[in-house]
Amino acid sequence: MQKYYYYIPLLFFLVLIIFFARQLFYEKDPSELPSALLNKKLPELKLDYMEGNKKFSSEYFFTAEEPYLINVWASWCAPCKVEHEYLMELKEIYGATIYGINYKDRIEEAEFFLESYGNPFKAIGIDNSGRVAINLGVYGVPETFIIDKFGFIKYRHVGPIQEYDMHNTILPILKKLGERIN
Amino acid sequence: MKKFILIFCIIFNSYPSFSDQNKIAEELYNELRCLVCQNQSIKESDAPLAKDLKLIVLEQLKNGKSKAEVKSFLVEKYGEFILFKPTFSVKNIFLWIAPIIFLLFGIIILYRFFYFHSKNTNNDDHLSISEKKKLKNILDEDQNI
Repeated sequence: MQKYYYYIPLLFFLVLIIFFARQLFYEKDPSELPSALLNKKLPELKLDYMEGNKKFSSEYFFTAEEPYLINVWASWCAPCKVEHEYLMELKEIYGATIYGINYKDRIEEAEFFLESYGNPFKAIGIDNSGRVAINLGVYGVPETFIIDKFGFIKYRHVGPIQEYDMHNTILPILKKLGERIN
Repeated sequence: MKKFILIFCIIFNSYPSFSDQNKIAEELYNELRCLVCQNQSIKESDAPLAKDLKLIVLEQLKNGKSKAEVKSFLVEKYGEFILFKPTFSVKNIFLWIAPIIFLLFGIIILYRFFYFHSKNTNNDDHLSISEKKKLKNILDEDQNI
């Protein structure tokens, strides 16, 4: 047998190591799905709106003058409470426009949630059946989308927005898309 | 074998006869991944999202959509990850042909192994006559002990 054959197992081993290392040192949680809707137009969302809030309709999105966030949340969702303070910060300090989609929630409880923690949303739509969420490819609350002014989905954040995410992903993307961030 | 066929027929006959739509729906439930508990199909999963997805599958089938159309709707929303069986596309080509490549590779290795193996055992010609004698003597000695 010629000698180079002896190196084949080693070669295999190295290729395997590269694959494993890639998965091992990959920064993102592998169970987080990349959005299939990235860089696609926001699908039409049929939502009821929450009383006392501004009417929520997808017409907004196509006439928007600035990029904005869509946040899918619920009062029963604990991580939503975690990210709420950053949503408030995004709105009040950085002047971001945030629309909310209230997912499978009781209206009274959602209202109580907003009364206690503040309301960062410009308008809130209600998705009781979970249909709209499926339309957006949402598989767990909270999820946040960044939409540019042409109505294209530019970023999707799965799970709560933490301080790190806000400063290192959300705000830079908003800046890049040209929102006037203070 | 006959027994097996008989049992097979009995099982098959006693299987409840679904209407076509429900049958397709059941098939789809098995082929779609629940995105919350990611190694379960939406049929196995009790997650609320799985229930919603099942409803949507059924509804779309009732609205006259084909199995492929329902699948492509969900892939559009959630990406190919929702399918347990990856599509046959350029992106996935390696996934599909890798088993064939590995099989060929294995056959080549096996072939070479046996080829060289048989070659090595047959040729003891490289011993000279005197060496053979020596070898015989040693072996005989062993037997005498």
